[in-house]
Amino acid sequence: MDLFLQTLVNGILIGGILICLTIGFQLTFGVLHVIDFAVGGWTMLGGYTAYWLVTLAGIDPFISIFLVFALFLLIGRGLGPLIYHVRTSRYARPDLMALAFTFGIFLFMRGGALWLWSYNSRSVDSVLSGQFLSLGPVTIPLMRLSAFILAMMFSLGLFILLYRSRFGMAVRALAQNHDHAGLMGVDVKRVSAWVYGIYTALTASAGVLIATIYSVNPSVGIRYTLFAFFVAVLAGLGSVGGVLVAGLALGLLEAYVATYIGARYSLLIVFGTLYLVLLVAPKGVLGRGI
Amino acid sequence: MNHKFSRRKFLRNSLLGTGAMTLGFPALNVNAQEHNIRVGVVTSLSGANRFGGNLTRRGYDLWAEEINKLGGIEIEGKRYPVEMFYGDAQSRPASGADAAERLIIQDEVDVLFGPYTSGVTLAVQPISQKYRVPMISGSAESPNVWLAKPAFNFGMIPAVDLTTDKSMVVLAENLGDRATTASVIGVDEPFSKETAEGFRKGVEESGLELLSYELFPAGSDLSAIISKLKSSNPDIVAVGGHEDIFINFVSTAKALNYKPKALIMHYGVTSAAFIKETGTESNGILGVSVWTEGLPYKDELFGTASDYSELSFSRWGTRPDYTEAACSASGLVLQDAARRLGKAPPWDQGTRAELAKAIEDTDIETFYGPVGFAKEGSHYHNNTKPVPAVVQIKSGDIVPVAPENASKGELVYPIPGTS
Repeated sequence: MDLFLQTLVNGILIGGILICLTIGFQLTFGVLHVIDFAVGGWTMLGGYTAYWLVTLAGIDPFISIFLVFALFLLIGRGLGPLIYHVRTSRYARPDLMALAFTFGIFLFMRGGALWLWSYNSRSVDSVLSGQFLSLGPVTIPLMRLSAFILAMMFSLGLFILLYRSRFGMAVRALAQNHDHAGLMGVDVKRVSAWVYGIYTALTASAGVLIATIYSVNPSVGIRYTLFAFFVAVLAGLGSVGGVLVAGLALGLLEAYVATYIGARYSLLIVFGTLYLVLLVAPKGVLGRGI
Repeated sequence: MNHKFSRRKFLRNSLLGTGAMTLGFPALNVNAQEHNIRVGVVTSLSGANRFGGNLTRRGYDLWAEEINKLGGIEIEGKRYPVEMFYGDAQSRPASGADAAERLIIQDEVDVLFGPYTSGVTLAVQPISQKYRVPMISGSAESPNVWLAKPAFNFGMIPAVDLTTDKSMVVLAENLGDRATTASVIGVDEPFSKETAEGFRKGVEESGLELLSYELFPAGSDLSAIISKLKSSNPDIVAVGGHEDIFINFVSTAKALNYKPKALIMHYGVTSAAFIKETGTESNGILGVSVWTEGLPYKDELFGTASDYSELSFSRWGTRPDYTEAACSASGLVLQDAARRLGKAPPWDQGTRAELAKAIEDTDIETFYGPVGFAKEGSHYHNNTKPVPAVVQIKSGDIVPVAPENASKGELVYPIPGTS
């Protein structure tokens, strides 16, 4: 029973990070209709930036996460028009072009990371490192709990932005129909660029949280790209709300499989579940489908 | 005097002159080069494994510098300087094979020093075989390298399946009845899996009870595995992997308030990166090393293991690990075999085959330890002689704690603050 409860806590806390990782990815798909394969790259760069801020300036990751958010918001905002251009260009399949383009960005980031930091893993310490709460037989690492709370805060912030602001209204209008939104006076290019900025900022922030819990190296990007894609499909591509359910479900599924069946089989069962979901419910738990 | 120009005489003299030049130059050339032994190094100077690749280069270079200070390798009373040539494997097996071919054909090397990783070594091995160029590999720890029974390749570091099982036996013997149970985990990829399997074999050989054995994919969240270990609480936890997984293990265990009574890992624990990243948490962690500066070995060129460490530190600014030491010792193997061969360079294919035979018969003591290559079995041409030392990290220092003849400090068990 103790192990069962500990696994429950482990799964929920990891689920929170996956939500932060995926929520921006969903937003980008919903608004720009781009499946961004650079998601793992942004995560990796966020982690490395936090590592730099800790080692060069001694800034705790739970403070530096806000600096990372701001920095990547600007980077993503700068790159946004380019993504928008590729997505709306007159290629035969602009969606595939955009996918290939983001995959190219990912490879560039990965190559750059290998060149800059070699393969060595870097971990980020915080004042909360190694501290924990003991609730009977269950240990709750404060670092993971804080990361979970921050991830929830970011998700809540995004919901408020989307449903309680004029910008959010414009974003939702774009998600419905770009042309109609344009006719209603929404600056489609500008809003799309900011959406891409918000996405990169959220994903890089998830990278900071991941670096505080695990470690970062140039190869982690592929793993988190897969996880983001899994959560997004399970949620229903484009459904920001579904991410909350799917993220927690994935966290719990992976934790229980690893504990009771074996970590060796967790990815196998997790991705087996993905295929099952696609067969039974192609629109995901709360989504509109691919 | 009337000198009449004779066209016939001119042509004859020109022909004789050209002939003499043609025949004479190679002779001069051979004379100029006969005092050099051309050594090709194939290793990863760029790419993902460039850090380790450059460690191998440091080891090889240090030997070349030291032997050249004496005038080179002594053969039949005469010294032949060593000339080093480099081929960058770019951390890719195919590039390593290309680099080896270039070194053999273009640079006409007499002998090769091997790559950093087992993957590149496996790719270079057939090239050395094809051109009959002996290769001494100072790194490469996968047992697969030796399963192929390479006729021309010789490995200085015992394969990982040999070192990990021996180290577990050594550890269990030193702990006596204080430890009765063990759990083994490892990353599900070739090197780490072989390491974990070696640990498991060692657990069985030493009579410990194996509570669990689990492999997991690279990059996994270790919280589930550590929660299970915490629940069963074995006396010894052994981890097969590389630095990144060790760092993850230590930080996740710390976060979940778990500290095993004894935690043993393999390569990576002794690296500066691991100690730096884990900080004080590294204290008490055990590792396996086929060489440390505290071991009681010595030879004529480098002196004691400690002397070698000082020399390397003064040359490169960092303390050498066992990879660097094994690479330097590769040179000692070459100079011993060349001395026994007794033939002056350059060496043709037939002589190189004789040199390979001389290397196979190596039986020497070095600062790195005893060197002798297996002549049959699944570890063919692998140096199986070194007995791995169990080391323990104490305040950032790597201290050999077992076996007794190599011990330079007390084996701390259990680690203070353990669960």
